[in-house]
Amino acid sequence: MAANKKAQQLARQLFKLSLVDGLVSADRVSGVLGYLEKLQPAHPLAVLRAYQRFVTIELAKSQAVVEHAGVVSDSILQTIAASMTKKYGRAITASTRANPKLLAGLRVRVGDDVYESSVSGQLGTLAASV
Amino acid sequence: MLTSLFLAAVEAHGAVTGASEPGLIEKFGVEWRFVLFQGISFLILFGVLYKFFIKPTTATMEDRQQKIESGLKYAEEMKAQLATAQQESLTLIKNAQVESNKIIEEARKTAKDFADKIQKEAAERATDQMAKAQQAIELEHKKMLAESRSEIARLVVTTTERVLAKKLTEADRASYNETAAKELTNV
Repeated sequence: MAANKKAQQLARQLFKLSLVDGLVSADRVSGVLGYLEKLQPAHPLAVLRAYQRFVTIELAKSQAVVEHAGVVSDSILQTIAASMTKKYGRAITASTRANPKLLAGLRVRVGDDVYESSVSGQLGTLAASV
Repeated sequence: MLTSLFLAAVEAHGAVTGASEPGLIEKFGVEWRFVLFQGISFLILFGVLYKFFIKPTTATMEDRQQKIESGLKYAEEMKAQLATAQQESLTLIKNAQVESNKIIEEARKTAKDFADKIQKEAAERATDQMAKAQQAIELEHKKMLAESRSEIARLVVTTTERVLAKKLTEADRASYNETAAKELTNV
């Protein structure tokens, strides 16, 4: 338990070292990984897992995953990326993921935040309100 | 002894008086000796009778008289005591009747209060159970309605999804996506 806590603390410190201007830097991440490979801290697997989780969460904050049913044009993606960049105050890129269960419409996920405007979502809201 | 002396005295008296002329008593043939003798005999007989018959008889009669008087007195006292006892018993009976009436009245009142209390509690319990049963029925009804509504909604949504999945064209989806994008960018 104490070892896991120490691994979490080390991973958090390494993650902070991986940020440049609040964004994850690929060079810093490479440096951190090299450092871990070279020095081999106690419980290296736990440290690496925690570090990966921090980096994944941070990357998800700067990425808008757009789930869609049907065709989504590049202009729509750019518009969504620009809107989210403006909303969160940091550079956010948009990526697509097909989701036929939506029937029609979009679901945008930025980190833990979810924005949805889809036929499936409206039908779910309708079923919940009845 | 005493009799001999008595006879000698009478003879001496006769010798003294014999010198004179016979009196009227001697003329009638009354002999003082015999009279005296008869008197003494009578006294002796009387003394014997008195000592052995009259006195005990009188004592017995007095004793009986006393006993009778005592008995009468005792009877009078008993009669008075009986009257007093009857009076006391009447008083006691009257008091007992009053007390018993009071106890019976209190018992009736207590029984009536208890019956009223039981009846009131039973009525309250029945009302409470009725209210609970009514609430349970209403809750069950609401639950059933909600479940029915939820099931109907689920069926409608499922059917709508299936229909839309088949009927929506790519153009419809693209148009809807554009509208959704505008809505999401305006959030």
